[in-house]
Amino acid sequence: MKRVAVVIFPGTNSEEETVRLLRACGADAHLVHWSRAHTLGAYDGYVLSGGFAYEDRIRAGAVAAHDAMMDPVIDGARNGKLVMGICNGAQILLEAGLVPGTGDARRPTAAFTHNVPPHFICKKVYVKLAVQPRRSSITAALPRDAVLPAWAAHGEGRLAARACEMEELETGDHLAFVYAHADGRVDDAATPNGSALHCAGLVNREGNVLALMPHPERVFPPHAALFKSFVRGVEAS
Amino acid sequence: MTQRRVALRLKVPDTTAYTALVALRRLGVPVARVERATLIAVPAGDDDAALECVRRDESLFNPNLHEIEVVRLGAPGAGEIWIRADEASSMQAWRLTDEQGLPVPPPVLERARDALLCNPAIETAVVGS
Amino acid sequence: MIDVALHGDERRRIAEALGREPTRVELYAFDAQWSEHCSYKSSRAQLRRLPASGERVVLGPGEDAGILHLGEHEGERYAVVAAHESHNHPSQVVPFEGAATGVGGIVRDVLCMGAQLIGIADALRFGDVATPGTHQRHVAQAVVDGISAYGNAIGVPNLTGDVFFHEGFNENCLVNVIALGLVKESQIVHSFAPPGSEGWPLVLVGKATDASGFGGASFSSLALDAENDAANRGAVQVPDPFLKNVLMRATYRVFALLRERGIAAACKDLGAGGVMGCSAEICASGGYGARIDLDRINVAQANLPPEVLAVGETQERMLFILPPDVVADVLRVYNEEFSLPEIAYDARAVVIGSVTKEPRYVLRHNGQTVMDVDIELLTKPLELAVARGEYTSAQRLEPPPRVAAFLSSLDGCSREPLYSRYDAVVRGCTVLPRGYGDAGVVAPIPGSSLGVAVAVAGNPRYGVVDPRLAAECAVLEAVRKVVAVGARPIGLTDCLNFGNPTNPEHYAEFVAAVDGLERAARSLGLPFVSGNVSFYNESSAGKAVPASAIVACIGAIEDVARTVTPALKRAGSALCFAQDLDEVLHAMQEGQVLACRAITGGDACAAAVEMAFASARAGSALGVCMPDGIAGVDRGGFLMETTTPFGERVGSVLDEPAIVFGKTRWNVRAVHDAWMRPLAEIYA
Repeated sequence: MKRVAVVIFPGTNSEEETVRLLRACGADAHLVHWSRAHTLGAYDGYVLSGGFAYEDRIRAGAVAAHDAMMDPVIDGARNGKLVMGICNGAQILLEAGLVPGTGDARRPTAAFTHNVPPHFICKKVYVKLAVQPRRSSITAALPRDAVLPAWAAHGEGRLAARACEMEELETGDHLAFVYAHADGRVDDAATPNGSALHCAGLVNREGNVLALMPHPERVFPPHAALFKSFVRGVEAS
Repeated sequence: MTQRRVALRLKVPDTTAYTALVALRRLGVPVARVERATLIAVPAGDDDAALECVRRDESLFNPNLHEIEVVRLGAPGAGEIWIRADEASSMQAWRLTDEQGLPVPPPVLERARDALLCNPAIETAVVGS
Repeated sequence: MIDVALHGDERRRIAEALGREPTRVELYAFDAQWSEHCSYKSSRAQLRRLPASGERVVLGPGEDAGILHLGEHEGERYAVVAAHESHNHPSQVVPFEGAATGVGGIVRDVLCMGAQLIGIADALRFGDVATPGTHQRHVAQAVVDGISAYGNAIGVPNLTGDVFFHEGFNENCLVNVIALGLVKESQIVHSFAPPGSEGWPLVLVGKATDASGFGGASFSSLALDAENDAANRGAVQVPDPFLKNVLMRATYRVFALLRERGIAAACKDLGAGGVMGCSAEICASGGYGARIDLDRINVAQANLPPEVLAVGETQERMLFILPPDVVADVLRVYNEEFSLPEIAYDARAVVIGSVTKEPRYVLRHNGQTVMDVDIELLTKPLELAVARGEYTSAQRLEPPPRVAAFLSSLDGCSREPLYSRYDAVVRGCTVLPRGYGDAGVVAPIPGSSLGVAVAVAGNPRYGVVDPRLAAECAVLEAVRKVVAVGARPIGLTDCLNFGNPTNPEHYAEFVAAVDGLERAARSLGLPFVSGNVSFYNESSAGKAVPASAIVACIGAIEDVARTVTPALKRAGSALCFAQDLDEVLHAMQEGQVLACRAITGGDACAAAVEMAFASARAGSALGVCMPDGIAGVDRGGFLMETTTPFGERVGSVLDEPAIVFGKTRWNVRAVHDAWMRPLAEIYA
């Protein structure tokens, strides 16, 4: 059976509910603390959970992304392992250049940055799958146009990139999830943080790395569809 | 109205600067001390007016926490790097010092910029010489 | 000349007991330990009147937090740990940092009892915030930012809270914070040196000590390094939730390690009085003494004088008493596994001294003994006899404005712009997030349907009229909010925020508030398990803040699937009013209550409108219809949507999003927009 690592950086805070939901979805999931980061290479898939790694100092996700601890995750992603980053995990994946992955190693081309208005927002939201399910092995088991409940809980969740990169995000089909109403309508009112393109999540070219800002694991009881799809993807990888 | 640039610094311990120091050293950047300031553009006719403008803004300045001064130079000095986020009016200034207490040279600043301090997707950096 | 707050006769008593003049370090130590904040000398006699026992009380007041039995799951008895404190004065001066460190302190109190943090709550009182650019408006914004920044980073959900605005708080904001934890009753960690711990090491853990939090003393009397002068100034305590996040997780690991080895250690957080206050209390309460070498303390600055090392209140520190053979492993967990020195400058766990059989408190520095006193003398100051005068009630209690005016006022408007800055759902256990019900509800035990509910209350508009009535109402309203979500109240915490205890009128208000708390708690059969007193909340003109007894109520829910929300469920059902807590809980258990809202501060009409808002949020287009005349002076009680009428029927649920009161008709959406506006402007 494949093994999934839930990576704990200094400052991560959502690891318990993340590993709990993964296990409930049938994964052999393990918490891997930063003191055991040297064991990360032995895992088959990775989840970077929410929190405030390094308290978001300098920029959210920056210190964690550049730390050597991320090397096995980056190598694993290059070799096709599935990686899912939620909230702070998503910020780390963008800072590490893994998502959208259109630049060189560890050179980010897009960022989840300060919300507009510029403060933390905690709000129940819906995210809609904005790509074909099979665009990514992580979302492959979701129905088309799936609308999932989640909680936005972040201060730096707004997609930002320069104009040509923003274009590439659309033409390259990287826009994996968008904010929506419960009935699936996508508009500014459904987007809590001013995110460009109503972006709630991005996927890389190969479809094996997903960065999602809102938290499905914080809905009570948790909404498992995405996690189940991730676990299936890991087993099949 | 002319602009003045005001540097706002913490006079209590700067935990972010400490994290940056530890992170840069882990990344192999030879730095022994990191200091940080926020550079604010203030429309003001003279230095005193600029400082007074910042002092009066409680969301920026608290005398128990901060010290401020007008920045004379138009560019970062030795050992300094200025980072500006796209569409932002203020900048983050970093000053890196080596084991001997000297400002680090530009190649080290560039290494720090690329390894951590600047996100090229949404920020631009100017390295001091 | 050393500037301390000790009274003349306190200084005389110290000199007599020592048989000599105290040393410099001893003077600062007594000044801190005998201060109002540490010793409660002006309030203890009054606080003893509050009921503190009951069948649910596992631990009453006495240690840093109280503990209430929650329920059983898989053969284990679980309990809720609760602590309640204020951080008023620092929040008025440096609002972000003051509020943030307030959260930090209360979280440590719960952590050190061996508990997992499961939630926090904040009760805030701000001044007149109408005018942009005023200090009190900045305070109102920055306090919320501080609580948000700290609570969110450490990953503890903000479950509930309240906020009031009154000009009486212009110069003295109130920032009360409550922390809740979950612990197995077999795993509680106490804060007194255990029997047989003579000779055991004292292990200091956390942030490197600096000169922050050494307030009150005149710095001209200290020989400080000129280069450090800027960092030494003032009593600003710098919050570090990054360090706290790591400290929490490392400490959970250490508690697990101690359990694996079957070790009963002791743990206590450092607060007022710094190293001295914590180590003296933890040892004295076990009947022991302590001997500490101040040079062993990890420091962020060189050449700190011994009194700063002893008494300074650097944040993010705790103290353990551990058997010698486990110390190395505990140090390794903190310093290596959790890499504390990389998280914050020279943060670490370090042995600083030991528990002594002889009940003396001894401090050494640079090879000299700088303090050597009887530990009981240090930790047991006399209670003060306080002159009590008469207070004058300034105003009559006005009836609340009619519903539309109330809902668009700062008292009645939506608090969402404020609380949406707080992470309400981290940890994935939140059943009823803030704003979705009168009390916050979490299900903190994975696999169990047991729930914990928490609510706060304490309306300053009652406080300016009658402190006793206000305190009683604070208890009743907090309890009512907990019952409104279907939880059974099991305990209370309190913080008494008052003026100057040496002002007889202010002190009389305090005593009257204690009367009110006692009366209400006894009539409900509920214990106070944790509390705090904050004095000296007075303006420069000597006017006290509105009498503010702020109360939190904790409740237990057997099955969170049966949590009651205020969202209307069914067109045509009855809207009913009732007051009796037990009757309402019974009706809920019978499944008669579809939705419920506690009536506090507004009236039944306002409650009905809020229930319509809640149903809109849940996606239903329902409304309410009530005949006019139900509105009136705060008729404390419950407004419920019921399956069959219960109590006094006052209206019905409509199948359209309209609000109909007699001949008046409003659209839910329009009233909702007006309700959202006032705080949205302040917290844009």
